[in-house]
Amino acid sequence: MKKKQRANPWIVVYLAPITILFLVFFLFPLVFNAYTSLMRWTGSGTMKWNNFANYVRLLTDDTFFLSIRNNLIWALSQGFVQISFAALVALILARNPRGWKFLRTVYFLPNVISTVAIASVWVALYNPEYGPINAIIKLFGGTPRNWLGDTSTALFAIIAMTVIYIGYFMIIILASIMNIPKELYEAAQIDGASKVQQELLITIPMIRGTLVTAVTLAMAYGMRHFDTTYLMTGGGPAYATNTIGIALYQKMDALRYGDASAAGMILIALGAVVVSLIRAAMGKNDPMTESAQ
Amino acid sequence: MKENSSGSAKAAVAQTAKWLVLLFFLAVAILPFLWLLVNSFRTNLELESSPFGWPKTLSLGNYRNAIVTADLIQLFVNSVIASVGSVALNLLVAAMASFVLSREHFRGRDLIHSIITAGVLIPIISFMVPYFMIITRTGLYDKLASLIFVYAAINLPISVALITTFMKAIPKELEEASIIDGCGFNQRFFKIVLPLSRSGMATAGTFCFVYAWNEFVMAMLFTSSTSSRTIQLGIKYFSSQFITDYTGMFAAIILSMIPSVAAYIFLHDKIISGLTAGAVKG
Repeated sequence: MKKKQRANPWIVVYLAPITILFLVFFLFPLVFNAYTSLMRWTGSGTMKWNNFANYVRLLTDDTFFLSIRNNLIWALSQGFVQISFAALVALILARNPRGWKFLRTVYFLPNVISTVAIASVWVALYNPEYGPINAIIKLFGGTPRNWLGDTSTALFAIIAMTVIYIGYFMIIILASIMNIPKELYEAAQIDGASKVQQELLITIPMIRGTLVTAVTLAMAYGMRHFDTTYLMTGGGPAYATNTIGIALYQKMDALRYGDASAAGMILIALGAVVVSLIRAAMGKNDPMTESAQ
Repeated sequence: MKENSSGSAKAAVAQTAKWLVLLFFLAVAILPFLWLLVNSFRTNLELESSPFGWPKTLSLGNYRNAIVTADLIQLFVNSVIASVGSVALNLLVAAMASFVLSREHFRGRDLIHSIITAGVLIPIISFMVPYFMIITRTGLYDKLASLIFVYAAINLPISVALITTFMKAIPKELEEASIIDGCGFNQRFFKIVLPLSRSGMATAGTFCFVYAWNEFVMAMLFTSSTSSRTIQLGIKYFSSQFITDYTGMFAAIILSMIPSVAAYIFLHDKIISGLTAGAVKG
């Protein structure tokens, strides 16, 4: 093969469509968001520079702060509670108990069901009048609640029903465990290590990279949370479940496009901060390339 | 080896705990949907008297209501068009890009690959305002084409990541042989590389389909009339319009779940191995 060969013109042709779509739907929106976040703009008419007033307004607004707090709660619960559940189940399934392939398939099933369907089902399950959850609580002598209508339980109720859907991360962690060379366990057994010791001293360290990636990704997804909450409570009651994404939508709905863009920039920035922090804390691993897989 | 009674008692506790964990997650994964299925055959009166119980008569009344009042067939067709259209566009664009990014050598190749796949890290909901402007200014508002473009574009990073992984694994020799046989650039793509990366394309296509079928935020922003509304939006409106017809809504939800659940039942091996392939590489 000749090393010094002219670049094939077909390469440009083959890259043209993705370049156009990427410019229109990824790069332009980023630039546009950054620009309009600094403007006074109602969606139509002229834009006017307003000295970071959108950012100041958002960051001094108590309800927006509540949204940021809720986002952090979302990120932490997805990153740590959901991933702990997923890792626990993956550890069990990796030892191939009876029916593990069937269980793996069923655990992933909710991941292909739409958010609208899942949210509607859970709104029904939490319903204060006919909902089965209150019916079960009454059966055991507890006090029924209006789970989604009460400011003290709404956020918890929504998060609880999302952290139990572990399918996606469980499969990734499981694959990583099953990829550990069997010889390591055989050697440990000869050395007299117990099953628990084997999990703690071999499995966990060997899947550390995958766990870091899973936590990072789950936190990133938690930070950008929008749909389930929007469908179940719309951010209420009294902003108790609002997230930055929902605040963005509310600003847009109120034709405060400058504020909406600023909320979008804050969301992107906070997401990047959370991901960098968690990577710094848990050791480096490149989620950029891994997450894409 | 000392297997005393306290050791086996501990093992029994561990076994029980293990199965309790597995059964708990099994229950939360399927019971809500089974409850929904059973209640989609009950009347609202039956549901209000008790959340648990079997339907007294096996009537399809709720399903008829859902199909007629929510105009479900139109919504279904719209969803099929948006999903299939976006999968086709996404796979074509992603496969062309993946081909040159995985099998050609040129300056900046790895940088382009990194930039595209880094797109996964962007919270797409922060783009609601610019996307809305793009769609309205290009005259795509309230047209299914808006969803086709947006869904296809949003899924490009994940599709490129998946398909390049598969294309890189194709032996170089096959292509070299085809070059000797006089195959040009396009023939190499269409006749050699594309057919050999079928399973990668299937995995990426399934991801895109499930995303497109289930998406509702963009659909809510870009469409307004029934003629371009997708089934997810239909259910959302169904639940706000017919606030008292719970069981009718349950039937509509069940119907909306059929395509993606059916796709999953047939393709679950491919989907799981697609997820697994990525994890093993990491």
